[in-house]
Amino acid sequence: MAEKKNNPRLFAAIDVGSFELCLKIFEISPKGIRQIDHIRHRLALGTDSYATRKISLAKMEELFRILQEFKDIMKQYHVRDYRAYGTSALRETDNTEILLDQIRNRSGIDLEILSNSEQRFLDYKAIAAFGNTFDAIIAKPTAIVDIGGGSIQLSLFDKGALVITQSLKLGVLRLHERLQNMKPRSTQIEALMDEMIDGQLSVFKKMYLKDREIKNLIIMDDYLSDRFKTAVPGVGDDRIATADAFLEFADGVMGKGSEEVADALEISEESVPLLKISAGIMKRVARSFGADALWVPGAALCDGIAYEYAEQNKLMSASRDFEADILACAATISRRYMGSRKRAEALENIALAIFDGMKRVHGMGERQRLILRLSATLHDCGKFINMTNVGECSHAIIMNTEMIGLSHLEREILACVVKFNHEAFEYFEDLSAHSDINEEAYLTIAKLTAILRIANALDKSHRQKIKDIRVSLKEDKLTIDVDAGADLLFEQERFASRAAFFEEVYGLRPVIRRSSSSS
Amino acid sequence: MINMDFTNTKYYTNRELSWVRFNERVLSEAKDKEIELFERLKFLSITASNLDEFFMVRVASLKDMVHAGYTKKDIAGLKPEGQLELLYPVLHDFVKDQYLTYHKLAAECSKQGLKMVERHEDMNAEEAEYADRYFADSVYPVLTPMAVDSSRPFPLIKNKSLNICALLAKKGKDPKKDKNLVFAAVQVPSVLPRLVQLPSKEGRRVIRLEEVIERNIDKLFLNYDLVSASPFQIMRNADLPIEEEEAEDLLKEIEKQIKRRQWGEVIRLETEKGIDKRLLKILKQELAINEEDIYEIDGPLDLTFLMKIYGLDGFEKFKHRSPEPCAVPRLPAGCDVFAAIREGDILLHHPYQSFTPVVEFIKQAASDPDVLAIKQTLYRVSGNSPIVRALAEAAENGKQVSVLVELKARFDEENNIGWARMLEKSGCHVIYGLVGLKTHCKIALVVRREEDGIRRYVHLGTGNYNDATARLYTDMGLLTCAEPVGEDATAVFNMLSGYSEPLQWNRLSLAPLWLKKRLLRLIKRETQAAKAGRQSGIKAKMNSLCDPDVIAALYEASAAGVQIDLLVRGICSLKTGIPGVSDNIRVYSIVGNYLEHSRIFIFENDCNPEVYLASADWMPRNLERRVEIMFPIEDAVLKETVIHILTEQFKDTAKKHVLMPDGSYKKKRVSKENRFSCQISFEQEAADLLEKPDQLKDSRRFIPMEKI
Repeated sequence: MAEKKNNPRLFAAIDVGSFELCLKIFEISPKGIRQIDHIRHRLALGTDSYATRKISLAKMEELFRILQEFKDIMKQYHVRDYRAYGTSALRETDNTEILLDQIRNRSGIDLEILSNSEQRFLDYKAIAAFGNTFDAIIAKPTAIVDIGGGSIQLSLFDKGALVITQSLKLGVLRLHERLQNMKPRSTQIEALMDEMIDGQLSVFKKMYLKDREIKNLIIMDDYLSDRFKTAVPGVGDDRIATADAFLEFADGVMGKGSEEVADALEISEESVPLLKISAGIMKRVARSFGADALWVPGAALCDGIAYEYAEQNKLMSASRDFEADILACAATISRRYMGSRKRAEALENIALAIFDGMKRVHGMGERQRLILRLSATLHDCGKFINMTNVGECSHAIIMNTEMIGLSHLEREILACVVKFNHEAFEYFEDLSAHSDINEEAYLTIAKLTAILRIANALDKSHRQKIKDIRVSLKEDKLTIDVDAGADLLFEQERFASRAAFFEEVYGLRPVIRRSSSSS
Repeated sequence: MINMDFTNTKYYTNRELSWVRFNERVLSEAKDKEIELFERLKFLSITASNLDEFFMVRVASLKDMVHAGYTKKDIAGLKPEGQLELLYPVLHDFVKDQYLTYHKLAAECSKQGLKMVERHEDMNAEEAEYADRYFADSVYPVLTPMAVDSSRPFPLIKNKSLNICALLAKKGKDPKKDKNLVFAAVQVPSVLPRLVQLPSKEGRRVIRLEEVIERNIDKLFLNYDLVSASPFQIMRNADLPIEEEEAEDLLKEIEKQIKRRQWGEVIRLETEKGIDKRLLKILKQELAINEEDIYEIDGPLDLTFLMKIYGLDGFEKFKHRSPEPCAVPRLPAGCDVFAAIREGDILLHHPYQSFTPVVEFIKQAASDPDVLAIKQTLYRVSGNSPIVRALAEAAENGKQVSVLVELKARFDEENNIGWARMLEKSGCHVIYGLVGLKTHCKIALVVRREEDGIRRYVHLGTGNYNDATARLYTDMGLLTCAEPVGEDATAVFNMLSGYSEPLQWNRLSLAPLWLKKRLLRLIKRETQAAKAGRQSGIKAKMNSLCDPDVIAALYEASAAGVQIDLLVRGICSLKTGIPGVSDNIRVYSIVGNYLEHSRIFIFENDCNPEVYLASADWMPRNLERRVEIMFPIEDAVLKETVIHILTEQFKDTAKKHVLMPDGSYKKKRVSKENRFSCQISFEQEAADLLEKPDQLKDSRRFIPMEKI
């Protein structure tokens, strides 16, 4: 049957994970996303790359073969689009680019590497796709514990918005490798694990949790999630367990031999050690955060990939505004470094007015608009470290702070825009010499910097004088009409000095015109 | 209640012994005077082929175990040696019984105008002349006589081949004084029909080929005088284990095994009663066979030739004529199978209902432009199977066709390899079985892309995708497009392709990983219900029951008060009537014209019965070493239908045997007019259903009359 416009669209998501390859086939329609097929193949790429930063040839061959098979399956379903992502196992190799090229040539699959924050964002989307259940859970203070092979990601919600996210290198496979090197007796394992986890967990708690109360934990893992409903007593279709029931179950699992656990949970014996570590992590976090309940929705990266694809292609209406989460995260960071909220808001308003008013010229889209907003929010975070070197320090803070939902490159763009708001602009040759910035990113940086700079100039007195702003474009002039309660002498002086860079970037002369609504 | 040890070996019957009891039940059909004469011949023939397989597989493997020094005890606490000792007298008695029956039947045939001439000496001159001419024209050219002397070793005697051995003396020498008698053997050619019809004016007369050869054997050894000649047959060990771990290519390995299989150890020697002692001595010595493995037969060797007698035309009134399978009301000829399935699940009851819809299901999928993929397991298929042809056609039409072909289906490998190659050539993705596991489940999945998305159609069955046996075996099947089943079916094929297990199963239970646990849980639930005073009960039908864990669970349930009714056609290691252990368990066995083959399990579940069909028996091999599927029947009407079908079978008074506490089986004597045969009743029901399809609909619904 030829695909008609309203027919559900077939989409495939491939996750090349650290211990498993996974292909999911989805059918996406306005009614929602329906999973048609789920194919898994166990392949522990992570055990190679975490230890040696390389992947053995035998495993690569197996990867090629399975991806080739995945491709055949996609063909069988007449899949229209697919996204294939690799996560930490491939990310943490020294020759990632070479591997990707081999994969493309040998299996015909275009594989991309997700940065940790992109991966976690997709995981988060997979969870958020549960809609009402998710909303009900995060109505109370909630933490997401996303347990991966290489690292775990802890994210905190406050009043329904995601505010903090932090990755800890405590992934299941990584801990397993470390434990194996120590060759402990089975009775020592739990104590060793506690030691490895507790240090990092207590720092996280001290830094971010402070006196926040966490009521709910949302758990994502590839090990226990599958069995959660059947294994933990009292868990119903909602897949929610009380902390007490879970802790009792987890204590039981940790104390039992592999064979017994495999038998009780109906899993293979070889997957028991990883499951135990994952359960151990959940246990530590649940105890340490003092949560009341755990929700284990059984969501996986592939679900998030499908959700994002559906969202991007407008195949269904999104259930959540994820940009708001990114902005809320940035706001939390700004607050941590004592940034001024009012000033940031004013800056954002002006910058957005300019951005929106000159859409025709700059050709930038939603994503760049978001970065501009983030740059306004974080424009002065570096002053927390040193007031005379705000640009450099802001750049360092942004580059070293996790912001869920931004790719590595986007984060770099953001850091540069904030930096050049304060410091001399670096041209491509200089910039690309010490960063991953490519030409396209460079242009984005230049364009956003130009906008942020004149916005900054317009609010230079930091007194938020401007109430309303209108931007109009005529020939070679960008006219900015501002409705200001107070006079703008100070701003106009700054503006002239900033306009030169704007002119250089856009070939437009910005002109400021005061129109007082009060007159 | 005292804690009983339900696993005590004294509560269990040895499975081989129970198998012989089963063959005795088949033999009892051959003895049953109420049954048509030729049907009785057929049953006798079946006992013979059953016994052959039993020797080749079971006896052979017990002997292997003895050789290997394997001493693990069986379910009844017997070591392999002990089991063989138990079996020898039972088997010898059984064979005696077979031939007593044979002679009775032969006499009866004679009365009805069919004379089986037993010995060539019994032919009249005219017949003898005909036989000699037949020998010269057709038999002699294909014979390969082999004599044994110092330069020629004892010939290789092929497994299951019928041979004539002879003792010869050099021409001119007095055989009584000749100390150098020569042993010779000739194989009765399997390419020629075993039966030779003799020209006859009154009635029909037939003689067996070996008698014709024996009469003319002097023509084979011209320089010798015949001292003595006698037919014999040997059976060799056939159940050679296949070394899967080591086999680079499973397919090649199996091909090799087939060739090797003919030369296994000799485990049975059948000779004619009264064979020359010197001949027997030579055979014994050369074949290295023990006394207890020698069967001196009072009658013709290899009774499977009776199947050929059955096939003679002109005796129709002595045969049972089964009606043609009826059409399935929901699936009339020419209908759109997929549209019909979309209207609701469809249950198929073979052979009362036709197997054609299943073939049609695959055929229509093959040419349907909306079908994306067809996936199917094939265990034993008929020669020139229409399903195999449809699958090949589908692949040629560009559909993704995956077929799991089970090469390890006993004795069928040669056949399977041929058409598996053919499927591969036409573009199907063929999986040649799984290492270490036999794929016994019967499942077919059709993935179809429809207006509102992907829809999956699934056929699940208790019997093989074999249009020939579907007319002879009672089996059940389900056609459904229920999403949870479709999802599971997809997962089954993912697993069969080597991918990891799914995160969860919606409806299906798979062996070897989940099915047994599920069964034990279902039994346990009944036990708990009985203990709590709620409604409980188990009704189940299967081919064999010998899994010790399942039996122990059933004993526990019985002890708790669960009423358990079982229909076990073949082997049953469970003992009935043990006080405090199995007093609530009744076991029956139906041996009828159709081979009872369906597996139906019904659990009372506190007045909310759960009904399952399965490809698996309750045997360790099914539950632990095979891929099997148990699936629920959930549609309320179909559930009632299955419950009705099983209940009817317990009511049978014509073919039902009851397992007695002493391990024997008894058939209740019922006057002819009161006899109830469920198989005949089902034939009628299937026909009625076609005439009154309304019965299909929910009987709880009132149907307002439109017109008066």
